[in-house]
Amino acid sequence: MNIKWAMAIDLDRCTGCGACVVACVAENNIPVVGEAEVEKGRLMQWLRVARYWEGEYPEAQAVYLPVPCMQCERAPCETVCPVYATYHNEDGLNAMVYNRCVGTRYCANNCPYSVRVFNWFDHKWEKPLDEQLSPDLTTRSRGVMEKCTFCIQRIRRAKETAEEEGREIRDGEAVPACVQTCPPGALLFGNMADPHSEITRKLKDPRRFRLMEHLGTEPRVVYLKRQKGAGR
Amino acid sequence: MNGSDHLARTDPGALYRELSRSNLPTTKKWYLGVALLSLVVLWGVGCFIYMMKTGMGVTGLNRPVMWGVFIASFVFWIGLSHSGTLISAILRLTNATWRAPILRGAEAMTAFALMVGGLFPLLHIGRNWRFYYMIPYPNSRQLWPNLRSPLMWDAVAINTYLLGSLTFLYFGMIPDLAIARDHATGWRKKFYSALALGFRGTHNEWRRYHVASTIFAILIIPVAVSVHSIVGWDFAMAKVPGWHSTIFAPYFVTGAIFSGIAGVVIVMATLRKVFRLERVLTVVQFENLGKLLCTMSLLWGYFYFADFLTVWYNRNPEEWEVFRSYAADYLPLFLVMIGCNFVVSFPLLCMRRVRRSIPALSVVSLMIVIGMYAERIMIVVPSLARRNDPFIWHNYFPSWVEFSILAGALALFLLLYTIFAKFFPIMAINDIQERLFQTTDRKIGGVTVESIGMPHDTGKGGHG
Amino acid sequence: MSGIVVVGLFDAVDPAAAAARALRALPLPEGDVTTLSPMPLPDGAVCRDPRGIGFPRFTLVGWFAGALAGLALALGTYLLYPLITGGKAIISVPPTLIVTYEVAMLGALAGTLIAGFWEMGLCRFRTRLIHDPRIQEGKILLCARVSGDEEARRAMDAMETAGGTDVRPEEGEL
Repeated sequence: MNIKWAMAIDLDRCTGCGACVVACVAENNIPVVGEAEVEKGRLMQWLRVARYWEGEYPEAQAVYLPVPCMQCERAPCETVCPVYATYHNEDGLNAMVYNRCVGTRYCANNCPYSVRVFNWFDHKWEKPLDEQLSPDLTTRSRGVMEKCTFCIQRIRRAKETAEEEGREIRDGEAVPACVQTCPPGALLFGNMADPHSEITRKLKDPRRFRLMEHLGTEPRVVYLKRQKGAGR
Repeated sequence: MNGSDHLARTDPGALYRELSRSNLPTTKKWYLGVALLSLVVLWGVGCFIYMMKTGMGVTGLNRPVMWGVFIASFVFWIGLSHSGTLISAILRLTNATWRAPILRGAEAMTAFALMVGGLFPLLHIGRNWRFYYMIPYPNSRQLWPNLRSPLMWDAVAINTYLLGSLTFLYFGMIPDLAIARDHATGWRKKFYSALALGFRGTHNEWRRYHVASTIFAILIIPVAVSVHSIVGWDFAMAKVPGWHSTIFAPYFVTGAIFSGIAGVVIVMATLRKVFRLERVLTVVQFENLGKLLCTMSLLWGYFYFADFLTVWYNRNPEEWEVFRSYAADYLPLFLVMIGCNFVVSFPLLCMRRVRRSIPALSVVSLMIVIGMYAERIMIVVPSLARRNDPFIWHNYFPSWVEFSILAGALALFLLLYTIFAKFFPIMAINDIQERLFQTTDRKIGGVTVESIGMPHDTGKGGHG
Repeated sequence: MSGIVVVGLFDAVDPAAAAARALRALPLPEGDVTTLSPMPLPDGAVCRDPRGIGFPRFTLVGWFAGALAGLALALGTYLLYPLITGGKAIISVPPTLIVTYEVAMLGALAGTLIAGFWEMGLCRFRTRLIHDPRIQEGKILLCARVSGDEEARRAMDAMETAGGTDVRPEEGEL
């Protein structure tokens, strides 16, 4: 079966709680850099919940926008890498090969969503915190870029299980950590090439839009617009 | 008129001694200078090793400002390198008669500025020790560079330009190395004999030397233009507001030549002072360079205005935010740039008195070099600091490690130049001799003017 | 082929030119009379160079060789590493042009340098070459390649008559 992974983010449901970010950090061995480094703009999180304000005080309202890697079909980050460290894989995902990366950081500059993060230092997990590291993926050394992979290790595992059992991968079998965790269920993940999947239905929602669509990057992450009106 | 068919209007031995003053006496001052510069270079190298061992986090870089002063310096030094080879090639081709004393110093500047500039991308990358991943050679890692990346275009272009500039520098120097060989003794004789490649000055050699110099000059000009265009495209290819502009390639080339000429003025004024070359490097050279600077300042201002105007009128919000930061967080830098490059320097350069005063012109040139460095930072940093998503906006200020490495790079350039001046003919002796030979004094009524006879059957304009 | 070369030092261009005319009248072929001078003299001022200047064609040869190499690098990359980036086609024309251009220019520079050195006769470190460092004092060394003692004597006469000093036969290559 043809696979095109996609994610839908329903902004009407997002409460900005940040559980997705915590899940992502836990799943992907993302280092916690501490307050001082964060203040310097060196947060390592692959997924950020951007918060904007709408209206003036006292009528001000917070708007939350979770921004993972958009897995653009026409990813600007890929073309500029001089060593093919980031390229498009067969599932249409924007793959990042840490071992190839030399750290020119051109990809991060060319990403309009600024979702790529750089390992400014080697990161250590003090004992016994190193026990929390997931064995399914590496920790990254200093000097390489990293970014959201749609939890590629989970996708791989689901695909392998399906293959062992000699069947197609089922809808909802591969779920990134953020999607699995989101308490209000604002995130949805699936194969948009499958006409019967939930994501395909969701993508027909008239509220759909994509971030900075005018740039022509064709993101695989689709947002569902927040409704305005009474009770919101 | 003293025997116009004598090859030497002045005593050639004395001329050689005068022009090669930089080579002969190694004074205590020289050792002291070299030691000092070496210390600064070592400090820079030490800081680089520290940065490599610890991580790029020791710089002031962050998200979104992933490129900082290293990339700005890369652009700056590559731009500075455009002085020498390009100017020297254009002067050769247009047969500018005042060019002879400038050639060598400018060409050497190109070579060393390129070497220093070429280091910066390697300093800048996160895993410096893996730089060879970018070199296309068959390897067991199945790694190969991506030619679609502008960084690879850069690598290929700078490779060509560096080799071309070194060739240009060396080839132009061969007759002077032969002169040095014939005057030198001891180990220097062996050194120059090897480098002069057996050039003696036969009629056949001279004729072919002329043609080859002309061809090199013709070849190096498009290469120089392409190199800085590609440096501009590093930015223009990106989806970054403020970078993505069609004007960048010619704008970068203009800026490069602008800062390059300013660099040449500073180098020439220094050489003149240090090696007492007042008789050769006269006001004529400086005034002409001053005129070129004046033109380039105007051209730079024109390009900047053209780029600014389109954004200002269009008010595309993404680009406008970048420009708004020029008036806020980056205002001091913006003022330095616009003041040094145009507002202050252009009127000064319009004044004959300034152009004809070597100290004044040197100060203006220094101003321009500073202004152009500010311009490089203004290109790299604010655009990144005001990327599309306001949530991640962040400013940038370089750390002490970056400042140390920048100082080390400047010291490396000066050190390379000092060593070059010690061992190589820093003045194009042969060109100066030839020009003296071609010049006769001619009386027109009550005045005596210099008259230059240029043979048209050999090396028309090709010779340097 | 090493031979006998008669050399003489001249202080100025005019006597050297007179000597050269006398040598040509001996007669010696144009290609066997040449000068060593500290700076270029116009062709015909003293002697004339009968050989055509052929090496510029190697600039073109180098350019095309470089262009081929650049093209091979670009096309080879597309062929051997067909990795899709940015959803774009594997083969892209502008980068190919840029890489081809830069390598072509490198080839042209290299071609000019190598062919130029070859035709100028540089890098002959093992050959004994006629040379006199005194030309750096502003003198001209007139050289005539001769065959046989008789011709050598007549050439030396011609040079001395025209005002040459230190006229002598030397063994070496021009």
